[in-house]
Amino acid sequence: MAREVLSTGQVRIHSDGASRDQAMKEAADMLEAAGAVTSAYYDAMQQRERTVSTYMGNELAIPHGTNETKDAILDSALAVIRYDGGVDWDGEPVTFVIGIAGKGDEHLEILSQIAILFSDEDEVARLKSAGSPEELFSMLASVNES
Amino acid sequence: MTTASPPVATSGGKKAQVAVQRFGTFLSGMIMPNIAAFIAWGFITALFIATGWLGWWHPIAPILGGFGNADQTGWAHAMTQLAQAAEGGATFPQYVGLVSPMITYLLPLLIANTGGRMVYGERGGVVAAIATTGVIVGTTIPMFMGAMVMGPLAALLTKWMDRIWDGKIKPGFEMLVNNFSAGILGMILAVIGFFVFGPVMTWLSDGLGAIVSWLTTNGLLPLLSIIVEPGKVLFLNNAINHGVFTPLGTQQALETGRSLLFLVEANPGPGLGILLAFTFFGVGMAKASAPGAIIIQFFGGIHEIYFPYVLMKPILVIAAIAGGMTGVATNAVFGSGLRAPAAPGSIIAVLIQTAGESNFGPGWGYVGVILSVVLAATVTFLVASVFLLRTRRRDLAMEGAGDLSAAIAQTEANKGKSSQALSGLRDRAQADAAAEGTSIGDEVTAAGVAAGAVLTGRRVDSIVFACDAGMGSSAMGASVLRNKIKKAGVEGVTVVNKAIANLDGSADLIITQNQLTDRARAKAPEAIHVSVDNFMNSAKYDEVVDLVREQHQDEH
Repeated sequence: MAREVLSTGQVRIHSDGASRDQAMKEAADMLEAAGAVTSAYYDAMQQRERTVSTYMGNELAIPHGTNETKDAILDSALAVIRYDGGVDWDGEPVTFVIGIAGKGDEHLEILSQIAILFSDEDEVARLKSAGSPEELFSMLASVNES
Repeated sequence: MTTASPPVATSGGKKAQVAVQRFGTFLSGMIMPNIAAFIAWGFITALFIATGWLGWWHPIAPILGGFGNADQTGWAHAMTQLAQAAEGGATFPQYVGLVSPMITYLLPLLIANTGGRMVYGERGGVVAAIATTGVIVGTTIPMFMGAMVMGPLAALLTKWMDRIWDGKIKPGFEMLVNNFSAGILGMILAVIGFFVFGPVMTWLSDGLGAIVSWLTTNGLLPLLSIIVEPGKVLFLNNAINHGVFTPLGTQQALETGRSLLFLVEANPGPGLGILLAFTFFGVGMAKASAPGAIIIQFFGGIHEIYFPYVLMKPILVIAAIAGGMTGVATNAVFGSGLRAPAAPGSIIAVLIQTAGESNFGPGWGYVGVILSVVLAATVTFLVASVFLLRTRRRDLAMEGAGDLSAAIAQTEANKGKSSQALSGLRDRAQADAAAEGTSIGDEVTAAGVAAGAVLTGRRVDSIVFACDAGMGSSAMGASVLRNKIKKAGVEGVTVVNKAIANLDGSADLIITQNQLTDRARAKAPEAIHVSVDNFMNSAKYDEVVDLVREQHQDEH
C-alpha cells in the first residue's frame, strides 16, 4: 500500500533552490501527473498555506490542501522534492518539500514513518546526503520495514 | 527520552491512596472554579440573614436575607413565597431573598455544570445542569452531593449516548439530533433524579441519625466526628446538622437546657484549623486564599468554604476528625453545650447560643464551649500542618520551583483569559517539577491547585493532534509523539490526529500549531491545550511525555 502512495517517479532532487510557490507548484504538478489530484490542488495548497504554514521543522515542509478542498483529491499520493539550494518557506529554511494528497487514511502509514524519520536530525542529515532520487526513495521507503 | 521509568513498587495501600487523591482532586475540581460564587453567597449570608452582621438593617436585610414580611416592608417588587409566622401560625408573604436561591439552585447547578464539562465538555455541562435541577427539587436539602454525583454521571451518559450515532447522522441534521438528544436525555435524567435522590437522601439522613443516636446513648460521642467530618466535606453538613443534630439536640435541650450535639457539626474550630494550616504551610492559590476564607468560615459561619481545601488533600480529613473529636470531648468533660442550634456555625452565633450552665457550675459553660472551639482548631491545625509540611517540598516544586505557577495563574486571572504563552510556560514549569517528584497523586493534586482548576490535574489518557485538514501535519506530529511515548515505555495513552472541526470533548490533551490553538480551544475548551511552532522537533513533546509518564508510572 505504502509503495503505491510513494513511487520512485515521485522523488526528485534539485541542486538549486526555489521559491515557496515554485516548490508548491512542482509538488502539485507531480501529484497531478501521478493522477492523485486535479489541477485545482495548487490553489488548495495556496489556500492552506494562507491559514497556516505547512513548515514542519527540521527543514521539512508538507504542502497540502484544506478540509474544504478535499474534492480536488482523487487518490492518495506523496511527492518528495529535495532542493539542495534551499527554499525560503515564509522565512523558514526548507530543504525537503513533500506534497501530500490524502484520500482516506492510506497515506498516513508512510507519512508517520517520514515524520519519525524527520524528527531525528541525524536522519535528516543522512537524507540530505543521498546521492540519487532512487537512494532517497529507498531511505524513505525502507522505514516501512524497520 | 529513551529511558523507561524504573518500575515503582506499588502496594495496594499506595494505589488506594492515589485513587482517593484522584477522587478528591476530581471533587475539588468541580468546586474550585466556582469558589467565587461560594464567596458571594457566603458574604450575602453572613451579612443579611436575621442573625447576620447587618441583620438589624431594616428593611434591607429582611428583603435580601429572605425573612422579611413583604406586607409590612412595602418593597413590592421582589419575589415572595408564602410562609407561616412562628407565633399564631398565620401565613404571610415572605421575601425569597438571595440566600436560599443561591445555595439551593445557583451553587449546585454551577458545580453540576463544571463537573459535566470536566467529563464531556460544554454539552456534558448542559445535560448535567438539566439533570441536577431534578435532583435539587426532588430533595429537601441543598444538593451539593447530588450535583457532584449527577453532574459527572449525566455528562458520562451523554458521552455514551453520542457514541451510539457517532458519524451516522445525515449531514445537516447534526444540530437537530444533538440538541434534541441532549434535551431528551436531560429531561429523563431530571425525572429519574427527582424520584431517586429524594428517598436516597432521606435514607442517608435516617441512617446517619440512627448511628448518631446509638453513639449518643452509648456515650461514644467523640466518635461522631469520624462520620461527621468526612460527611461535612462532601457537603452533607446541612443534612447532618439540620437533619440529625438539630432534632436530637433540641430534644436534649428541652430536658437539660443545653446540648453539645449542636456543636458537633457547627463547631467552627476544625475548619479554622485547616485554613490556618493552609495560611502558614500551604502553597500557591490555596495559601493565598486561605486567610480570606477564614473570615467567611469562622466569623461568617459558612463552613462550605473550607471543604475544597480538604478535598484537595483528602488526608486532611484526619486532621478535621482529630479536631472535631477534641471539641466534642471537651464539651463532654465540661458538660457544656448550646441552648439552641447555632446557625450559621460562626463563632458569633455559637457564643450567642452558649448555655452558661455546665458540670462545674454556672458560667463554666462558656469556658467549655470556647475551649472546645480553641482546642479543636489547635489540634486540627497541628495535625494538618504535619500533613502539609510532609508534602510541602514536593508541592512547592510542583508549583514551579517557587511561585511561578501561582504567578502565572494570577496573571491569567488578571487578563481574564488564558494565554498560550503563559500556559506553555506553566506546562514547562510543571513538567520540570514533575521530573523530580515522587508521588504522582500529590503532584496531580498540586497541579490542580496550581492551576486553580482541574485542567492541569487532569489525567491524560488520550492525546489528539489537531490541524486544519487532519491530513498531513497533525498525522506527522502524532507519529512523532507516539514514537516518543512508546520509547519512554508509557502504556495506555492513545495519540491520534484529527481535523479541528472534528474535535469533541473526548481528548484530554490537544496539541496544535500555535496559530490554530485558539480555534482548537474554542472547539474543546475542557482539554489541556499545548501549542507548538514546530511539529518535528518541539521541546514540548518531551514535556508531554514527562507528564504522561508521571501519571502512568504507577500502573504497570
